[in-house]
Amino acid sequence: MKKLIIRIITVILLLGGVYATSPVQIGAFSSQVVTRGAAGDDVIELQSRLQYIGFYTGTIDGKFGYGTYWALRNFQAKYGLPIDGIAGTKTKKKLTDVSKYDEKFVKDNLNKGNKFTHYGGKPLSSQVAQGTGKKDTIQAPSKYSERDIQLMANAVYGEARGEPYDGQVAVAAVILNRVEHSEFPDSVGGVIFQPGAFTAVADGQIWLTPNERAKEAVLDAINGWDPSENAIYYFNPITATSKWIWSRPQIKKIGLHIFCS
Amino acid sequence: MKKLIFVLVYSIAALSIFSVGKAAENEQLSIALSGQYASKITDASQKLEELNTAVKKTLLFNESDGSEKAREDIWRLSSDIKNSVSSLPLDNSFSTSWLNYLGRLGNYAKEATRAEDHTEYHKVMAQASKNLSTLADEWEVATVGMVNGRLSMDEWKNRLDSTEKGHDWAGMGTAVKQYTESDFPLTASESDSMKKKDLRDMADAKVSSEEAVDQFKRLFPSVSNEIIGVETSKPGSPYPFYHIRFAENQSIGYVDITEKGGHVLSFLSERPFGKKSLPFDDIQKNAEKFLKDAGYKDLVYEESRENNTAWHFVYVRVEPEYKAKVFSDVIHLKVAKDNGGIVGLDASEYIRKEKTAPQPIVKMDWKKFFHSNVTVAKEELAYVENDRLEQRLTHYLTVTVDENGEIGTYAVIIDTETSEVIKTEKLQ
Repeated sequence: MKKLIIRIITVILLLGGVYATSPVQIGAFSSQVVTRGAAGDDVIELQSRLQYIGFYTGTIDGKFGYGTYWALRNFQAKYGLPIDGIAGTKTKKKLTDVSKYDEKFVKDNLNKGNKFTHYGGKPLSSQVAQGTGKKDTIQAPSKYSERDIQLMANAVYGEARGEPYDGQVAVAAVILNRVEHSEFPDSVGGVIFQPGAFTAVADGQIWLTPNERAKEAVLDAINGWDPSENAIYYFNPITATSKWIWSRPQIKKIGLHIFCS
Repeated sequence: MKKLIFVLVYSIAALSIFSVGKAAENEQLSIALSGQYASKITDASQKLEELNTAVKKTLLFNESDGSEKAREDIWRLSSDIKNSVSSLPLDNSFSTSWLNYLGRLGNYAKEATRAEDHTEYHKVMAQASKNLSTLADEWEVATVGMVNGRLSMDEWKNRLDSTEKGHDWAGMGTAVKQYTESDFPLTASESDSMKKKDLRDMADAKVSSEEAVDQFKRLFPSVSNEIIGVETSKPGSPYPFYHIRFAENQSIGYVDITEKGGHVLSFLSERPFGKKSLPFDDIQKNAEKFLKDAGYKDLVYEESRENNTAWHFVYVRVEPEYKAKVFSDVIHLKVAKDNGGIVGLDASEYIRKEKTAPQPIVKMDWKKFFHSNVTVAKEELAYVENDRLEQRLTHYLTVTVDENGEIGTYAVIIDTETSEVIKTEKLQ
């Protein structure tokens, strides 16, 4: 009997210890500290709660940018919290205490791509308008729009879906190198749709739905990776019909593509 | 038998109707497309004429003030023609040379305000005007068939490859390239920038492929035990490097290491990622420990972006004189969310270290400089490249402004000596 009691106490102490040392989960927030640059569910909840009590007036998109940052700092200032623009345990707890979050309403509307707000004090049903479709919670450098990213993912998938991952990143990097280059149009759309520039545009494969790998490859390229080493052209030596492309200085080969300057 | 013939006749009839319908549809599309292209060509031709006139107008004056409007027109028209040309199916070599020429012409006109010596401007633009006239004539000849509807799309495409007299596109491309080199040669800053990009200034000794592999193993011990190939870059690469491919456990990827000095240009590893996510602090600590161990010691954290499987980090070099960030010398790191491992490194910009020169810092009163509803939230010093590709010491300001109830945030970059606003960027 004594042994049993000791065992039970040991188990309780162990469980208590695990609980005490594990990160504290506040409401529906995860245990993560949420900071500028973050993306995902915690940010969606953060924005929704800040909007509920009037601190955040921007779009609830799950991307922690400057709009969310200033709103959070103002909230921290109002409630006597350390003003750092970071949603840690104390900030999340206070936010949970003073606001409400209708997760179903927010997530449903996000998934439908609706335009909506989440202000307290007026019926949520009156805060929704029809949208244009689902949008990703992708954190990208501000000079690239969601449309640029989507278009590049389409081009990468259409041009290089059978290629190694770095070959796909390299194709995305070539598009970006062209945008920066004086001999090409200066927008992502202009470069991709320049007549004769990409086979996938000519044969319509650009309109295939890109997979996650192609999207990831585009993200790596816009975040600074260039496995092509500054190339502005590439071609498949087995299928290339242009004689001119062979005159370009070649840099490296990835998969089936030769990358050139 | 009768039934079979009946079915056959009907099938052939249906197929013929379908084919005729499709052919007519294709022809209509082809005509519509030809119409679009003809319209773009006409537009470009007309604007080319206007551009030449604008160039000639600027030659009337001795002072740059007198030609301000015409110089603005040159910049605008060259941009417009660039847009038209880039949306036309043209010969590759001609199209690229032509876009480059137009860009340089527009920029030269825009930058002329800064030039103290207007004689030089007059000399350059007089020659440019002559070349533009020649080019306009050739363009007219080359595109006449498309504009007057005599050529179908197929004929136009065939003609692009032709070298018949009157529409030798490749020859036109070579001519425009020569005009660019003679009218608008590279400036000293552009030449320096190109040298830097091509790593021509790097004085480090050559390393062997074995030494490059050792460097890879030192930096990325967890993925460098199963190397599946080491290649050297192709002869056309402006800087030679080793391209090392690996496949260890589930990680597949590459690392490119320069022959000069054995510096990592970029590294990327792909593997299936777990669903759990480490706390951001732990991930950032891993990133910074990696940078320290790898010997990248003059960097500061600039920003980070979370995505599905990884965090992308940006670190910027700090120069010692003013403790200013050098935004052209950055390192990108990709750190996996599931275990905090480094899955990507790009140091290609960092190893091309910019040379920064001391520069006077003129005190600025931001309250006078900005509108009253603007708040300067953060002020730093940073070296930033201006339009002329010069590294300038700048006040790097993060400012906020009330935009109809939302807080708008902008980076405003101001030259410390001349107070020129080098860049204003909306921050998300």
